[in-house]
Parts: sequence; structure tokens; C-alpha cells
Amino acid sequence: MSPVRVTWHRTIGRARSLYSTAFAVGAFLAASAALFAFKLDAAEGVSLSVASVWAMGVAPFLPALAAILAMDVWSDELQSGRIELLLTTPVREREFTLGKFLGVFTMLVFATFLSFASTVIALRVYAPSTLAGIGVLGFCPAFLALMLQGVLWCAVSVAMSSIFRHAAAAACASLLLLIGIPRGGWAALLAWAPLGRPAFGEMLLDAHVVDMSSGLFSSGTILSYLILSSFFLFVATKNVAICRFGGRGGRSLRFSTAFAIVLAGVFSGLVVELVNRLDSKLDLPVGNLETEFSARTRGILAEAHGEMSVTCFLSRKDARFRPIGHFLRRLQRESASLGGIKIDLCFVDPLWDLGYAERLVRLGAAEESLVFEKGRRNVVQPLADGYDERICASSIQSLTMPPQRRNVYWTIGHGEMSSNEYGTFGMSDIARDLAREGYRNMPIDLAGDAQIPSDCALIVVAGAKEDFSRAEAGRIDAYLRAGGRLLVLLAAADSGGVASLLPGWGLRPSQVSITGAKTLSSTDVIVGEFSEHAISKPLQGSRIVLERPISFMPSAAAEAGAGADRIEFTPLAKAGTAVVAATVERGVGAGADLSIRPMRIVAIGDAGFVMNGQLAARANANRDFFLNCVAYLSGTDASVASGAGANALSTGLDRAARVRFVVVLAGMVPFAIFLILLAVAARRRCRG
Amino acid sequence: MFEVRNIAFTYRKKPVLRDVSFVVSPGEVVCVVGANGAGKTTLLKVLATLAAPDSGVVMVDGQNALAKPLRYRKQLGYLPERVSLYEDMTVKEYLNYRAALKGEPLKRIRRRVDEACEMCKVSEYLRSPIGSLSAGLKKRVALADALLLRPRVLLLDDFLAGLDGEMRDAAGPVLSAAAAFSSVIATGHELDDLAKWATRFFVLRDGVISASVSTAGVDRAVVLGRLSSALRGGAA
Repeated sequence: MSPVRVTWHRTIGRARSLYSTAFAVGAFLAASAALFAFKLDAAEGVSLSVASVWAMGVAPFLPALAAILAMDVWSDELQSGRIELLLTTPVREREFTLGKFLGVFTMLVFATFLSFASTVIALRVYAPSTLAGIGVLGFCPAFLALMLQGVLWCAVSVAMSSIFRHAAAAACASLLLLIGIPRGGWAALLAWAPLGRPAFGEMLLDAHVVDMSSGLFSSGTILSYLILSSFFLFVATKNVAICRFGGRGGRSLRFSTAFAIVLAGVFSGLVVELVNRLDSKLDLPVGNLETEFSARTRGILAEAHGEMSVTCFLSRKDARFRPIGHFLRRLQRESASLGGIKIDLCFVDPLWDLGYAERLVRLGAAEESLVFEKGRRNVVQPLADGYDERICASSIQSLTMPPQRRNVYWTIGHGEMSSNEYGTFGMSDIARDLAREGYRNMPIDLAGDAQIPSDCALIVVAGAKEDFSRAEAGRIDAYLRAGGRLLVLLAAADSGGVASLLPGWGLRPSQVSITGAKTLSSTDVIVGEFSEHAISKPLQGSRIVLERPISFMPSAAAEAGAGADRIEFTPLAKAGTAVVAATVERGVGAGADLSIRPMRIVAIGDAGFVMNGQLAARANANRDFFLNCVAYLSGTDASVASGAGANALSTGLDRAARVRFVVVLAGMVPFAIFLILLAVAARRRCRG
Repeated sequence: MFEVRNIAFTYRKKPVLRDVSFVVSPGEVVCVVGANGAGKTTLLKVLATLAAPDSGVVMVDGQNALAKPLRYRKQLGYLPERVSLYEDMTVKEYLNYRAALKGEPLKRIRRRVDEACEMCKVSEYLRSPIGSLSAGLKKRVALADALLLRPRVLLLDDFLAGLDGEMRDAAGPVLSAAAAFSSVIATGHELDDLAKWATRFFVLRDGVISASVSTAGVDRAVVLGRLSSALRGGAA
């Protein structure tokens, strides 16, 4: 047997006899399962693979597991003096280090596999729909991503164990190096940077897991992990070898070893930089997460004619390069299949394609942007704002169709959420989306003698806390009678804003408290049941999230009236039997015959439905729902966005089933595995 | 033939060994004695490649052993002063592990382990976990480990320390048997016991071999007298 294999075998045998291994693996399984359940809860309705969610649940705890498993592989030998027995055998230090590293890594693979197996089994039992279209094989890229990181975590932990004589000190150093510095540094960066997360994207380590688990493999990333792992194993080997260089005779050897470590560090850094510069990406088709383009996008593509070009002004080593290229090519194919505008794609790397880059800069494009050009007109879309279907369709529309500016008036003066507020409780994000769609956001103060302008496409009352005065309500009422359009985000059923006005227009808000049956915190209500209305139909399969929503029912006014005065109440979204979003329309059909503009109101039972915090906290289709509401009210009628569609992650779990799922996956399974490992360790210790 | 030439070792500017030279023939059992801090353990560490000497060479059969340490370590058996074994392993598992680590082919490991256990009288403890053994038995297991592959050079650091009288008596035949295939170099303070089976003594004083006392054909009392004298600083 080779010394590496003997040492590997011994390291695993020792780990099996330690109670700390049982505790570490049990705690790892429990913590990762709990985080997975939490992330699964948050990803409900999002176009995301369950394998990615699992990987994101496991990844933060892998460094801690590696640190605990590896903490005594060298430090125990150093402290007990057994290192002398090892170093007098005809085995090279690197063979010992490799054997110990492989032993720790094997335990890490074993623990991760247990997490994977228990997760898949629990999902099969409780939420089989999540595995539809992905299967067990779909977890392979996620597993590989975790193992790639695991290699580095184990190498670092083994290196720390060779530096410190006390296992606890080695574990602390590993935790500091693997969790404290990267996560703490990232938190500090976000705290320091005024724009926070949007400016920096995901943390690098998390982004690698997400990318690879969704099938996007980068040669630079993979090689970087392997090179850094080799460096730390080299450090461990040299630290062990340095044990022989105690006296004056070893002084030169100590210096040369330290120099070799520094040189290896510099060399590793340079090679990592090089492999990242020469990066190439492999996009594996994992799961079927591609959504169909919305009717609106297809309409825009089909109606546009001629030729246009879309230039991706982005470095090829950027993680977004491949998915953007993939998306643009889909857009190009879709347009060709519809017989619409011919789209030429161009990819310009600011580092390499200097001539093209100069031209784009002259056009006013900054790096990391998409440039849409048709003839002499162009639209520059910064990638920081996203590059999804809706944004690209809007850009194409603005180049190919005559501009139609429509004014959206946001009422102010009653404690409404502001479209100019950039904080958590502001509406700046959705206002920016509206501007991108061609709307002009305007504030309107109805107090005093202010009248509603004639160019008003619709009025938004976003979570008013105070009641409108009689005069203000009268103006809105008059506006509605003349075929006005109103979008109301309601904070309470009986007070605030125009709540008192709604029953007269067919909508009766109800203060019945609705709790979420699909989330662990019942305040978040996930709604996935949509009606066939133009606003909500494209969102079938997606989820919107409302916090402590109120519900609506038709008032007496909705039942009365005939012909052009008839008011029709249509539920848009339901949580169980409760309608959490609804629309009323007067003058539909008959109104059109008489050339009367139909009055439309859309009411959503959550004041913070599209506030910045809600859009950022939990992935959802709220933004799409709101934009469709605005499109419908302003008269566009065509839906703007299609949400996540049929590929949205759906567990189909109600709260009771979710609690059972969490208890089994994060409680019973880890505890059972902990007891089994404990029994194995006790049996080994109690022999003889 | 095992030869040590002009070994010097300095630790934190303090010379621990100075120009130490001696030769050990096959079949010889050499004991290095001296006061605490004389440099006995350091000498054995240098010979076991656990410390790099400032100068000097170690020759095995005319070859510089320190120039090819892996080859040298294949011929080396070492028992450290402080015995620390893997408590979670049984004696058999431990010796199997050590034999595999020393490069012995799998099919020969069992025979080697049985031989070493037989020599050190630990055969009956093969299935016992090391953690359950007494300190003396652990030392015998460590000695079995050192003797595992019939090493050409056997280094035993203060190996009688902690052993009771019966076990010390039993150590003599073990070392005599080991001397059949090894050049044995042992250190210790128990002159009475060492004199029973050592063929030669080197007295280490302030890092220098101050005296060499042969036991061949000399009465044990005379040997002990000479050693005592040498240790006090007089002539051997």
C-alpha cells in the first residue's frame, strides 16, 4: 500500500473514532438542512433550480465542517510528539499531507452526500414537484461545485492544523480564514459602499456555487480553487518539514522553506490571475429553466421590422457574459422565428476590442452595458439595472416604435410611499422600471385647488396612511366618473387614502386578516392563484408575495347598474378564497360603443407590495404584477411581463407540511445520523 | 557498519553536540550515557533525521545516510523518549499501520508484526486497544514498532525509563536478539541495567564524548566504576 493510502485510511479511521466527528457531521446536516428549508421557502415561485437552492444552503457550512474535521490531523501529532514517529518513517512529508487531506476530504464528501441524499429523499416524500424536470442527476453540478470549494476548505484547514499545536487554535484559525475574513470582509464592504449589494453583486464564493450549480462552469474559477488548494497543501507540507530544522544547522533550511512558501504564494497568485484572464466558460443545460417569451415581447419583436444590432459591452471574463450571450441569442432566434426584426449580435470586450470599444464610448455607453442600435438611434442599457426580457423588449420597442409617453401621477401628502425614496420603504425601484417602460412618474398633491391634469394616464395611491379630504376624494371621484384610472395599494381596509371611496366603485376592502399557509412566517402570504384577466393571466405559475394583506369583495355598487353604468368586479389574485388583488371596470363593452373611456380601478391589499424592501427581500413576481396593472390601467392592455412562468419553483407545501419537512430534514435525520456516528465512535473506543 | 563522524549541533546559539564521532559494528549494543542536558536525546534525534546537524555525517555501510534520508529511514528503527501512540487503535492495528507506513508489502506485514510482538512479548495484547494498556506495555509496543522491519540501525532513547524491574530484565534478551540484525544505540541513566547487555558505553559530557568504556571481558562492577568516574568528570 502506498503511504498516501495508508495515511488516508488512518485519517478516516481516526475521524470515525472521534465524538467530535459525530457532532460536527450532525450539526452540519442540521444547519445546512435548516438553511435549505429557509431558502426553499424564500425561493417559492422563483425560476430557480432546487439543486441551486440546496447548494446555497450547504455551502456556508462546508468551511466549518472542514475546519472541525481537519483541526487535529496535524496538530494532534505535533502536540503528542507522534510527529517524531511519523518523520522517522521512509515517507515524504507531502505524502503524509496528501493522505491526511484526502482523509478529511473523504469525510467532507461523505457528509455532503448524506445532506444530498436526505434532501432528495425528503423532497421526494414531501415535495416531489420540486424535483420535476431536474431529477437526481440535476444535483451533480451543485455537488461538484460544493466539492470544488470543499477541496480548498480542506486544504486550508489541513494547513492551519500543521501550523498550530492545539486543535482548537487550528480550528479557530481555519474558521477565521474561511468564514470570518471573506464573509466579514464582504459585510464590511457592503456596509462601507453606499450602493451596497447591487453595486457588487453576489459574494464571490456564493456566486461560484450559484453559477456552477446552474451549469455555468468557468475554467478560471475551477483552476483557481485547485491552484489555491495546492498552495495550501504545499504550506502544510513545508510546515511539517520545518519540524526537522530545529538547530543552527537547519537555519538555512528554515529560511529557504519560508522563502519557498512566499514564492509559492506569489506564483499561485500570478497563476490564478492568468487562468482568470484566459477564462473560458462551459454552460451545461441543467434543468429546464428557460421561460418562454411573453406575449408582449413576441408582439414587439413581430411588429418591428428592418435590422438592428445589440452589442454586449462586457468583459468576457465577467460571470454574466455567458448567460447574457445565451439570452441574446434566444431573443435573436425568437425574432427570426416570428418573422420580425433582424437582430445582429455583437460582443465587445473593453480590454481586447479597443476599436469597437472606442466607438461605443463615443455613443455614450459605459462598460458593462447593452447597446441597442437601429439606424442612427441607440439605447444604452446598463447591466447593473438588469438584462431581463422586459428591459430588452422595452429597449427594442423604444427604437422601433413611435414614442408614447404616458404620465403616471403618484399622490403625495397623505403618508404615501414615495417614488423618489431610495430606502427600504421607498418605491424608487418600481418607479425606475416604469420610466424604462416609457412612463413619466409625476407627483400630484390634490390638496388646495389642484386639479387632475388631462394628460394623466393613471393615478397611483401607494399606501396612504391618512384619509383624503372630502375635496380630494371628490376630485378623484370626478376623475373616475370621467373614465379615470386608479391604482390603489391599500394599507388598511377602513382608513387611509381612498379606502372610503372604493365601495362606491364596486370594491369593498375587508380587514379579515390573511395568514400565509405556505411560509414558515405566516405574515408573508404567497399567492399563486391567478385569474384569467389580462393582468394576471401571464403570471400563471409565478408567485406574488404580500405581507399581511387585506382582501376585497364586490360591494353593492358592483351588482347594480346596467349597460354603460355596470361595474364589473374581477378578482386578480386569490389566497385561498380571499381576493387579495382585484379590479373593477365600468363601461366595458357598452362604454366602448358609446365612445366612453371605461373607468378602471385596480386594488392590491398590501401597501408595500412593490416597495424596494419587498422587491429585494424575497424573489417574487410582484414587480411583473404591478407593471401589468399599470399597462392595463394606462390603456396598453398588453401585459408587460410574464413572471417566472411554468418553471417557477413550487414545493406545493402548506405550512403544516413545511414544518414536518423541516422537522424531518433538519431535526430527525441529522439526529439519527449523529446517533449512528456516535455509536460507531463509542464502539471503536470501547473495544477490548 | 554504522559510523558517526564529527556531528555538531547548536540550539539557540548554545552548542549541544560538538564533534561527536563513533563507530558501531553490527551486533554491537552501544549505550550513550550522560547527565541530564548532556545531549543524548539530541544526538539520537540527529541520528534519526529529526534534527539537521550543523556539520558532520552519518555513514551506513560507507554511504552518507543524511544525503539519502528516505533510504536511510527504511533501515531505521526509532523509539522516542516520550512514547505516544494512537490510543484508539488496537496493538495489531497500530503495528499493521506502522509496518505499512514503513513500506512493508501487505503479504509480509502479518509475519513481521508477529515476529516483533513475539520479541517484545506483546502477542497476547494484539487485540487490546492501546488506550487500555499500562505505560510499560505501551513502551513494549513502541519497541515492537521500532523492531518491526528488522532495522539495520536501532535507536532507543531512554527506553528503560518507566519500566519495572521485571520488564527491565526482559529488555536484555530483546536487545540481544535485535543486535543480531541491528547496530543498536541506546541512551539512559540506569547504568546497572544497561551494563548487563551493552557491549560499549560512550559518556557524553557537555556535547562531547568524553569517555568510551568497553564491557567486553570486564567485570560489571569495574565497568560501573569507570562509568561513574567518567560521569563525574574523571578518567574512565
